[in-house]
Order: sequence, then C-alpha cells, then structure tokens
Amino acid sequence: LAILVVLVARYFVWVDVGARCVIGIRPSLVGYDNSTVKRALETLRNGSPEDYRKVCVHVGSINPNPSCGGFGGGCFWHGQNARGRASIDVSTEHGLIWTVAIVVHETCHAIQSHEGRPPGFDYEDECYNEDHRIMRALVQFE
Amino acid sequence: VKRWGLIAVVVLLVAWGWLRAFAWFDPLSACRIHIDVELLEGDRGAIRSAIDVVRREDPLVYRALCRWVDRIREERQCDAGDPQADRRVRGGAGIPLDALDPAIRRAREAPGCYVRGSRVIVLRRAPDGGGGPALVRERAEALKRMAGYSQAFWLDRVR
Repeated sequence: LAILVVLVARYFVWVDVGARCVIGIRPSLVGYDNSTVKRALETLRNGSPEDYRKVCVHVGSINPNPSCGGFGGGCFWHGQNARGRASIDVSTEHGLIWTVAIVVHETCHAIQSHEGRPPGFDYEDECYNEDHRIMRALVQFE
Repeated sequence: VKRWGLIAVVVLLVAWGWLRAFAWFDPLSACRIHIDVELLEGDRGAIRSAIDVVRREDPLVYRALCRWVDRIREERQCDAGDPQADRRVRGGAGIPLDALDPAIRRAREAPGCYVRGSRVIVLRRAPDGGGGPALVRERAEALKRMAGYSQAFWLDRVR
C-alpha cells in the first residue's frame, strides 16, 4: 500500500499544500510525460505565480496527451462542465518551455469557459497571446 | 568478509554507472546535473565536454552551475515566443520571424537559454550535425552565462 501511495503521489498528482493546489495528472503512455508536466507546474509556480494561481483555480486535471493539438500542442474540450475545474490535454514532446506555454494556453480556454465571452469573440487569439506572453517572460537567452 | 567486499564493490560500480549514465557526475564537487538528449540525435558527450571546460576555466561559475542548475536539455532551438500569436501566421501566411518579433529569431539562433522559475538550461542542438571544439567552446560560454541567469533568478527570489 505504501508503495502504491508513493507511486500515485510521485506520478499522478500535483500537490502544493501552501497554495492549496491539487491537480490530478492522468497516466501517460510514456512515463516521463508526467514528470515534464510537474516540472512545468513547478516552473510556473516560481517564475509566474499569477499564472500558477490561475492554473490552480481553473484546472483540476491534466492529461499528458502527445497526440492532441496536432502532435505537440494541447486541447481544451469546450463541452465539459463549465462550473467545475477543467480537464486539459497537454503534449510535452517539445520540452519544458512549450509544456509551460501549452498549460497557460489551455488554462486560458478554461478561464474563457468559466467566465464566458461575448458572441463572436476570438478564443484562440486571446490564448495564443497568453502563451506568447509567458514564453517571452520566462525564456532568457541574452 | 571477502564476499561482502566484492558485493560492496559491485554495488558501488553499479551506483556509479547509474549516477553517471544520464548526467554529469562529479562527486568531489557534490555535483550532478541531469542531461537530456534526443534518443537518436543527441550527444551527451559534447555537453559533458562543455561542462568540463567550465570546470577547468572558471571554478566559481562551475560552482554556480552545480548549485543552480539541475538539468541541461538539448533541443532543436530555444523558443522565446509563439509565432502563432500572430493571426497572419495562423492563417497560413509565410511571414518572416523578424516581422513578428525579432526576439523569436534571436532566441532560435542563440546557443542556449535559461527558463526562469526552473533550474533548467536548454542548449541548441548542433546545426546539421556539426560538432568539434567550436561547438564545445560555444556551449561552454553559453553554460557560463545561463548559470549566472539561474543564480540571479534564485537569489533575487530569496531577497
């Protein structure tokens, strides 16, 4: 039982007691996906606390799904219950920074779903700008 | 006693191999940095050589690298923005990166980058499979700079 608890805690759940944040991470076909998702959440927590808080509020589970969004992207299913915390699909195959960006992008869709947007609103435009912003903020190269 | 000694040696060798196989491992400096590379295209050896250059040339920076960086990833390039944030790109128009955001192109050409909020450095994969001393030198300089960025981020956070 102890081994099971350790494995679940290690691979299938993100727990941040201080921020009262618990996010489930679904099993992945390739095990390292889950650790990349956890590393992305850790990076957001330290690098952009405001974005991290939004993820904790609006996302309840993350599905590391390599094929979603045309291999390398993410997915948000607009049909899901708009009241509860959302489930998002995230591909991790392009490394840490893209995983962070996709988490922020799909969280943006969850926020849109929870808050509602006026008719004719460009959902993707808002969320692509969000992932662009987080990449600009976190990647330091010069 | 002899048998237990033999078992201890075997265990030590296996542990050593395990710690070193996917990482830079320097027990004398209490330094272990995981190295991620592509299964087929990657080359941990070239990254180890670059870290060794840092160790020999600049002990202070090497100490910072060991303290503030826990993972080095080799990737195709550094991405400092999402070109698809521009509607024209999503529409399929072939727009040069500079017209969108010059920082995206500069990041892609950079030898490496640091991801703020992490202890991860990304090194650009050698273009066209190139390698040799020039690549090792370029990466060593990049590692020195990125170790400084990571150190600055984490120390600023503490203050």
